Amino acid sequence: MPQVKIIAKNFMDMVAALPALKLDKLYDNTFICEAVLRSLPPLAKKYVLQMLYVDVPVTAKSMEEWVLADGFSKHRVAIDRLIQLRVFLESTDRKKETSYRLNPKFQGNLQKYLVHGGVLPRDPMSSSITVRLPTLEELESYALNQWECFLLQLISSGQAEKTTNFSSSMIEVFQRGLLSQRGKEAPRLTESGFQFLLMDTNAQLWYIIREYISNSEERRVDPADLISFLLELSFHATGQAYNITTLNEVQRSIIKDLADLGLVKLQQGRKESWFIPTKLATNLSVSLSDSSSRKQGFVVVETNFRLYAYSTSKLHCEILRLFARIEYQLPNLIVGAITKESLYSAFDNGITSEQASIISFLQQNAHPRVADRAAPAVPENVTDQIRLWETDLNRVEITPSHFYDDFPSKDVFEAACDYARENGGLLWEDSKRMRLVVKADIHGLMREYLQKK
Amino acid sequence: MSSGQVVMRARYKKTAKAPGIQGVLIMTEDKFVFTRDDNMSSVEVDVGFRSIKGHKFTKEAPQNKALLNLTQEVKGGGYIFEFDKFSERDICRDFVGKVLGKLQATQSSAQDANVASEKPTITVHDEQLSAEEMELRMKLLRDNSELQKLHKQFVIGGVLTEAEFWATRKKLLAVNASRTSKQRVGFKSAMIADVRPLTDGRTNKVTFSLTPEIIHQIFTEKPAVHQAFLNFVPSKMTEKDFWTKYCRAEYLHRTKNAVAAAAEAAEDEELAVFLKQDDILAREARRKIRRVDPTLDMEADEGDDYIHLPDHGILRDGSKEITDTEYEQYRRTLAQDLNRHAAVVLEGRTLDVELGDTRTVAEALAKSKKAELATEKSDDKANQERLERVSRMAEIEDLQAPHNLPFAPLFIKDPREYFDSQQANALKALGDAGVGTKTINCSLSTGQAYGSLRELISEMKVTGLSDPVVKPEVALKVLNGLTQHLSSTKYNLGKNPQESILDRLPNRTKEELLHHWISIQELLKHFWSSYPITTAYLYTKVSRLKDAMAEIYPNLQGIKESAQSDFRHQVSLLVQPMLQALDAAFTHYDADSQKRSTKSGERSNGFI
Amino acid sequence: MASAPSKQYSDDVSLLMVLLDTNPFFWGGTNTTTGVLSFSSFLTHVISFLNSIILLNQLNQVVVIATGFNSCDYIYESSTSEAIIVNSDNGQMPALCSKMLQKLEEFVIRDEQLSKENSPTGIVSSLLSGSLSLALCYIQKVFRSGPLHPHPRILCLQGSPDGPEQYVAVMNAIFSAQRSMVPIDSCVIGAQHSAFLQQASYITGGVYLKPQQLDGLFQYLTIQSRRLVPDMGMICTPTDPHKPNCATYP
Repeated sequence: MPQVKIIAKNFMDMVAALPALKLDKLYDNTFICEAVLRSLPPLAKKYVLQMLYVDVPVTAKSMEEWVLADGFSKHRVAIDRLIQLRVFLESTDRKKETSYRLNPKFQGNLQKYLVHGGVLPRDPMSSSITVRLPTLEELESYALNQWECFLLQLISSGQAEKTTNFSSSMIEVFQRGLLSQRGKEAPRLTESGFQFLLMDTNAQLWYIIREYISNSEERRVDPADLISFLLELSFHATGQAYNITTLNEVQRSIIKDLADLGLVKLQQGRKESWFIPTKLATNLSVSLSDSSSRKQGFVVVETNFRLYAYSTSKLHCEILRLFARIEYQLPNLIVGAITKESLYSAFDNGITSEQASIISFLQQNAHPRVADRAAPAVPENVTDQIRLWETDLNRVEITPSHFYDDFPSKDVFEAACDYARENGGLLWEDSKRMRLVVKADIHGLMREYLQKK
Repeated sequence: MSSGQVVMRARYKKTAKAPGIQGVLIMTEDKFVFTRDDNMSSVEVDVGFRSIKGHKFTKEAPQNKALLNLTQEVKGGGYIFEFDKFSERDICRDFVGKVLGKLQATQSSAQDANVASEKPTITVHDEQLSAEEMELRMKLLRDNSELQKLHKQFVIGGVLTEAEFWATRKKLLAVNASRTSKQRVGFKSAMIADVRPLTDGRTNKVTFSLTPEIIHQIFTEKPAVHQAFLNFVPSKMTEKDFWTKYCRAEYLHRTKNAVAAAAEAAEDEELAVFLKQDDILAREARRKIRRVDPTLDMEADEGDDYIHLPDHGILRDGSKEITDTEYEQYRRTLAQDLNRHAAVVLEGRTLDVELGDTRTVAEALAKSKKAELATEKSDDKANQERLERVSRMAEIEDLQAPHNLPFAPLFIKDPREYFDSQQANALKALGDAGVGTKTINCSLSTGQAYGSLRELISEMKVTGLSDPVVKPEVALKVLNGLTQHLSSTKYNLGKNPQESILDRLPNRTKEELLHHWISIQELLKHFWSSYPITTAYLYTKVSRLKDAMAEIYPNLQGIKESAQSDFRHQVSLLVQPMLQALDAAFTHYDADSQKRSTKSGERSNGFI
Repeated sequence: MASAPSKQYSDDVSLLMVLLDTNPFFWGGTNTTTGVLSFSSFLTHVISFLNSIILLNQLNQVVVIATGFNSCDYIYESSTSEAIIVNSDNGQMPALCSKMLQKLEEFVIRDEQLSKENSPTGIVSSLLSGSLSLALCYIQKVFRSGPLHPHPRILCLQGSPDGPEQYVAVMNAIFSAQRSMVPIDSCVIGAQHSAFLQQASYITGGVYLKPQQLDGLFQYLTIQSRRLVPDMGMICTPTDPHKPNCATYP
């Protein structure tokens, strides 16, 4: 099974991966244009605006005029992204000069948007219908609750109080890469699984949605339809009810899954049923770096390695248990301690102390009282000690490599050594017995080189 | 010394080690003459001060000889005189200093600035400076090369006098002066009350020993005793009697014999003074309480007070302090003593009198107290400040703007006039004065104007925004225009927009420009502050400044020309404001002198 | 992965305060002369520009202040959520547009009622100092509202000539903007340059622009808005090549 990289890749990477035809078809929808625009790096956004009313190609050279020397790499990133998403169409003329123009469909839609505003394909339930809608707070707690249930089911099917409607095969798809099962043992979290749990909700959601989309073809759903519906959903107003009858067949089946994830709440009226998008849904098109979706922290770490988590969530408890010894559990407080043993078991599972891991989890979820102080949210002695404990385990570094011997002559051996050195891959040499070890990534080069000899 | 001539017996030496020749030294305003004793007719030395560069002298110390060395401008040459006493030497030294200073002032105006010595020399003129002030100025010049350069250029160059130069930098001097206060020896922290009476064991005699130091301390700690001393000694009793009485009172306190104390006080009113609680202290305490931070919550500490609870209290000299309400006024608690003592120690020694004579100490102390009180009373500020603090604390802190930000309010007499000149400048600089003068067609009445605006809005509400917002060709034109504009300016502006033009000039040019800018500022500051010219002195000052400024013109021109062609434009941009500022000064000068000349024609006995 | 908590939103989020010149005498005056922007096309450009700002990031905030002849007032705030939810009545124009036009009309009526004389004489300037102060107040409120706040920026769209009598007030506003590190961009659409705004942009590090091609105003605004985002330091900004005469105070 291929290693699943847990990167909170954003939606747009998936959009960009779509074939050009499908991508162009997506741009028929104004909301997708808007979502794509919002996902762009700041510089790319500006380029789009700047080109919005220009209908002829603009040379790359003249665009570069605007860039200051130290901004060039950002400029490159922006242009690459624009081309990748087919927002910019690249063309080369006879003089081999590159120029760009906006994708006409994209351009047209945005122009229309600016003048006429965006119109959703469906209107919210009019206020004349007297149905009690959940308040925004209720909705938010519903969404988080739902999401937590899902996560619990995901990591330990037994723990969840109520299960979602996802088929077990679907759950297995989600679990792929997060859990591993050796023989008859209970499934254990993999390294990526740990990282996944420590990510913030938005990033987790993205990961799941990504899996959901990539799996869509198996369920005979067109990924492009799915993407466009999800993006559209992100432009609905949080807390407003929309009639389910406005959805087509495919979308109706999707919306049920989304309800399980907490993206929408389904509400059954007397005659009709409604769906109410939650914050999780409307945040889908938010770029990851935006911290607006950040939750309130709950963890206090003391310099004596004790840990207090003000949380009622079972999930939180489970996460903390991954790297800390839980001592008491009170109705709204979890008390634990970070010990060498608890950390070793975490490291054992491949969880690391650094990024996306224990320390950043503690920092990101620091209780506001702690986070608002000028001092670091997690005491420095604790973070240092965690790192030290980790480095204790990493005394040996493993580099994949290849071993060569049996050289026909000293000359050939030395030339090979030099060649390896030039390519920065020489790890070890023994000139007496004519043996050497090179890094695995230059093995191909080495082989070519030796064959030529 | 003021006579303009000093006659002193001295020994003339060629070198410091030589025995020297005994004779008479006569110093006048312009020269000094030495005649030896053994040969009165011939003059050994006859030198004009003009050729003297400076003077050195030995420190006053028993092992040192009282020497004065007048060094000549020619290298190595000098005249050493040895005096019998340091005081005699000092008279000569001061005289020399004065004469040299005067000479330098007149001389230097004629001299070129370069001739001036490397080390900044301070020359004394109309103002008399103490050694410390001189030292301070020297130090300032040493520390600040910029200042030293200016000083060298203008003071030694004769454009400004020493006094004028420093007059604009009073703040600098004041700040530095405040730092140089000496440290004083404070009071000992041991309590005098603990000076034990000595008993010899055989008789009932008790001996207190009082030193001047202790007396001083008693005076400051116990204002009542101090007052009593001033009242009674020596009119009513001798000093010895006074202290005996005092010690007796102390003894009564110490034995905790409140009853006896009360009885004795009733008999002897002088003794009573010592035994009763100190009224002055009480008054002072009340005054202090008034100054306490009004927001301080004293009640918060009330729970900490155990002293009044049974089985609690402070042990003093082995016995517990008893509270006996009947003799309240004769009671003195340890806490009171401690507090008073602490306050005095913290306040420090305010008196700079040699301790010895009790009377003088007492009087000096009284004087200083009075002065203190006077200042305190005179400024009502204290109370004002207190009120301010009350109001400040009563409000919520984070709603307050930060206090006492140092700022100077922008004050322009007629903003309209000022603005018009600004606007004119802006337009001139942009070169579109023609357009600028066009005013808006204002023929519309208010009703019409608003009416058409409202119409447009309601029309838009119906039709919405026109589509497309920008025509593609216009958008392209704007974009291309701006791109072109950018590429033409980009390379001129350099990479970093924050980088000023100065940073790209060669270092030498940059430094020269900055130096000229600073010196022009200095000159202009003095120039404008001399107006209106009311005295002949100011008149000469202004003309001196004018001449100095005139000299800068060719220098600026030189910089402009010497700059490399790629920088020339930028340099001339930088030089422009300097020239403008100078031009303004000259225009004013000319206008003023013209006015003056016409006036003086009417009034022949003007001061010019 | 997400960074450690910071006090600011990511660089991309901005709060744009737009000061709209609604001086009827300026707009009335331009109506008669040909080749100059009319008020309705001016509004078209500005509203599309505001729309595009909101389009770029849903956390972006836009506040519009009308700078009238007698008064000034807030006429639009994007942060009030209803602006997003309620869609336009008939899909003719963005919600922002209809709301703003409504408020603007009310403002103009109020402004007219405050007029004293029938026809003003001399320079008819709009109340720039007032609207600058309003903008700064709003920004201060945002600064104090919570730990997270967007990058504020003021954009002055000015057509009327400067009012000399406002000199001190305007300068004070400029200095206070400088102190709170709020850049003031200016876009002059009148016939003459504005000494006020030159100084404002220069002192606060904003961009001063006087478009030559007024029917391309939107294009100018979007290009100018590069500086809305700190990241744009990487990019040249077209600012007027003439640095304003720096004020020297007597």
